[in-house]
Amino acid sequence: MPFVRRYKDMNTDLDALYKDIVKELQNEKELNVAKELKGDVNGVPFMSVTANRSSIPKMVTGTLREVTVTITGEKNDYLIEMHTGEWFSNLAMPYLGASILVGPLAGLAVAGTAGLMAAQYGRKLKAKIKDLVKKHSKEKYSDEKVETFIG
Amino acid sequence: MPFIRRYKDLGTNLDGLYEGIKKELQQDKDLTIAVENNGVINNVPFKSITAARATVPRAITGTLREVTITIAGVPDDWLLELHTGAWFGNMLLPGTGGFLIAGPFGAAAGAGASAVLAADYGRKLKNKIKGMVKKHSGKTYAESKIETFIS
Repeated sequence: MPFVRRYKDMNTDLDALYKDIVKELQNEKELNVAKELKGDVNGVPFMSVTANRSSIPKMVTGTLREVTVTITGEKNDYLIEMHTGEWFSNLAMPYLGASILVGPLAGLAVAGTAGLMAAQYGRKLKAKIKDLVKKHSKEKYSDEKVETFIG
Repeated sequence: MPFIRRYKDLGTNLDGLYEGIKKELQQDKDLTIAVENNGVINNVPFKSITAARATVPRAITGTLREVTITIAGVPDDWLLELHTGAWFGNMLLPGTGGFLIAGPFGAAAGAGASAVLAADYGRKLKNKIKGMVKKHSGKTYAESKIETFIS
């Protein structure tokens, strides 16, 4: 699920913040930084990094497939979007139960706790980004400077 | 939004289908193939391909960021997942209106109509895949052999 935060009046060094986020993704051994886009969109600075899972997962449903972090805006008014994608998340919905993956597909659902789960990774990365925003901002972090949007 | 279909009793050549989908992605000049995962998960054949946008977009909200297609299973019982990711999709929510991206972000939201939008692209690709499933299946395609899951 995409997660967007708008930060205002933080005087943040966005280049340094972006570099540290890239480093954080590079430090995860299951991920491979596949794409970086930097430039501007109609005059608004834009940086985006995508890391993909570098190997076949041990199970499918809910396993982390890719992460994209995007920063756009200026040091005193910017957005950060974090997207974590997972395989076959629809099949993990409670009302479907496990019955959907019977027959030849049953093997896809086992070994659930051994994988790098998208929800878990997303939570960890969100907390890390918050720390990095504080680290690279000259103004004090406070909740009223931050607005969160979840789709 | 991820879109999953389960196909039964079609006798589909899954390698042929995968190659057809890959060629389709390669033909789109706005995309580059970022990662391919081919193998088995607990004895279930698994193939996944991700193509990412190759350049900085002209508009942000809703623009196609990446496409992942995954095929898992055997010729007579398999799943296909189609994921299309968009930047700042949350900002297109009816409740938030356009005001959110005013200020420094106003320009980044513009020119939307000329961009490759994730929703549009996903709809076209879904139809294309349906054609390819028919082409690569040894048995007659029928709605009764297909089940769709959308979260």
